[in-house]
Amino acid sequence: MRVMERDGFVARCEAMGIERSVSLFLLQHESVEPGDHVMVHVGYAIQKMSEAEAKSIWDTFDEMFDAEEKARNA
Amino acid sequence: MPDPVNAKAKAWLARIHALPFKGRVRVMNVCGGHERTISMSGLRSALPEAVELIAGPGCPVCICPEEDVHAAIGLSLREGVTLVAFGDMLRVPANVPKREPRSLEAARAAGGDVRPIAGPREAAAIARENPSREVVFFAAGFETTTAPIAAMIAEGVPKNLSILLSARRTWPAVAMLLGAFSGKVETGFPSENATKQKPSEEAGFDALIAPGHVSAIMGPEEWRFVPEEHNIPSAVAGFEVDSLVMGFHSVLRQHLEGRAFLDNCYANVAKPGGNPTAQRLIAECFDVVDANWRGIGIIPQSGFALKPELERLDAVRRFGLDNEAARKRAGEMPPGCDCARVVLGKIRPNECVLYGKACTPRNPVGPCMVSDEGACRIWWASGLRHGAEA
Ligand code: SF4
Repeated sequence: MRVMERDGFVARCEAMGIERSVSLFLLQHESVEPGDHVMVHVGYAIQKMSEAEAKSIWDTFDEMFDAEEKARNA
Repeated sequence: MPDPVNAKAKAWLARIHALPFKGRVRVMNVCGGHERTISMSGLRSALPEAVELIAGPGCPVCICPEEDVHAAIGLSLREGVTLVAFGDMLRVPANVPKREPRSLEAARAAGGDVRPIAGPREAAAIARENPSREVVFFAAGFETTTAPIAAMIAEGVPKNLSILLSARRTWPAVAMLLGAFSGKVETGFPSENATKQKPSEEAGFDALIAPGHVSAIMGPEEWRFVPEEHNIPSAVAGFEVDSLVMGFHSVLRQHLEGRAFLDNCYANVAKPGGNPTAQRLIAECFDVVDANWRGIGIIPQSGFALKPELERLDAVRRFGLDNEAARKRAGEMPPGCDCARVVLGKIRPNECVLYGKACTPRNPVGPCMVSDEGACRIWWASGLRHGAEA
C-alpha cells in the first residue's frame, strides 16, 4: 500500500482506492514517509518495497479477483 | 478480463517449457498465498506435464490444534468473556459431542460473544472499548502474523486482554518432512543438529518454493538448510504470478542441472536478514517451543509460547485451562477428513473421499475447507473438481 500520511507509528495508506490505517511499529528500523510503499499484513506494515513491486502485486490481486469472480459466476 | 498470466510471467513460462525435462519434478510450496495464485491463475495446467505442484504446510488455521479450537469455544461461552479471532477461525470445526457447539460460529449462535477481527490492533481496541469484559484474542498464524502480535504486546496491552496463542514457525514443518528431526533435537536450525536426512522421494518433493512473506520477516536465510543440508533446489517467491513463475524456473533449472542453492525471486520484499524490528520483538515476547500441529503431531521447535514474564497475558493461565488434558482427549481431525495428509502435501485435496461430496465451503468437514489459505478450499474455489483437472 502507498503511505499517504503518518502520525507516529500510525499511517494512513491506500491501495486500489481502499484506505486503511496501518501500524508502522514493525518498521522502526526504516524511515517511512508519505509516498513510500509498504507490504501490509493484518494491519501492520511488515516491509518497505519499491513502487514497481507494489504495482505488480496489485496487478496480481486484480487478476485474482477477476478469476475468482469468474469462478463464482461459473 | 485481463489474462491472469501476464506478459512477464508468460516469458518465464516459455523458458520453463524450453527446459529439457527427463522425468517428473515435484515442486512444493508452503504458503496459502502461493497456492491461491497457482490455483486461481491456472498455473498447474500452464506448466509442462513433468512438473507437479504440491501444496504443502501453508495454512496456519488448518494445523491449529483441535484442543485450542475447543478451548476457544469453551471460553467464548463463559460469562463476561468476549472472544476475538481472525475470521477464518470462526468456522473451523472441532470434534465435540452432538449437542455442543462445534465451531466458534456455532458458539456465537448459542449466545457466545464471538467477534471476527482483521488484525491484532482490533483485538486491543475491542478490549479498550469493553473494560468490563475479559477479551481473549485467539491468535493462530505463522511468523508473518506472530510479528504483528508481538508488536501489539510491545505497544501495550489493556489489562482485560489475554491471548490464546497458536503461533507456528514454518521451516520446522519442512524440516520434519525432510526427516531432519529423526535424531536428537536441540535448539537452533536443523543444520546444526540434523541427523541424516530422508531422500526427496520419501520427503515427497524435489524442489521447494519458500514463502516470501515469512522470509520478509525472518530473512530468506532461514531456508538455506533445504538446499545446503538436503540438496533440494529452493527459491523464495512472493505471491505474484511473475515472482512464482520465476521461482519455478529457478528450482526446475537447478534440479535439471543437478545443483541446489537458495534463490531469491522476491528480493525487494524478502530482504537479506529479514525485518530486524520484527525479529527483536518476537524474541522479546516469545520462546520457541515444540508444538502440536493438528492431525500431524508435535513438531520440534515449531511453535511460539509467551515468555514467562508475559504469563499474565496467557489465556490458558488466566482462565486456568488444562490444555494438556484437552490434548490427550482431542479427536484431532473430524472423522473421514484427510486434512493432515493434504497439509503435508501427501495427497491432493481432491483425493480426499469427502472432497466436494460431504465437504464443501458451505458445509466444511475439515479446517482445510474452511480457511482461505486451506488447500481444499482454494482448489474448490478455483473450480478444481476431479483428479484429472489438477
Ligand atoms: S476435503 Fe474436507 S474432509 Fe477432505 S481433507 Fe479437505 S477439508 Fe478435510
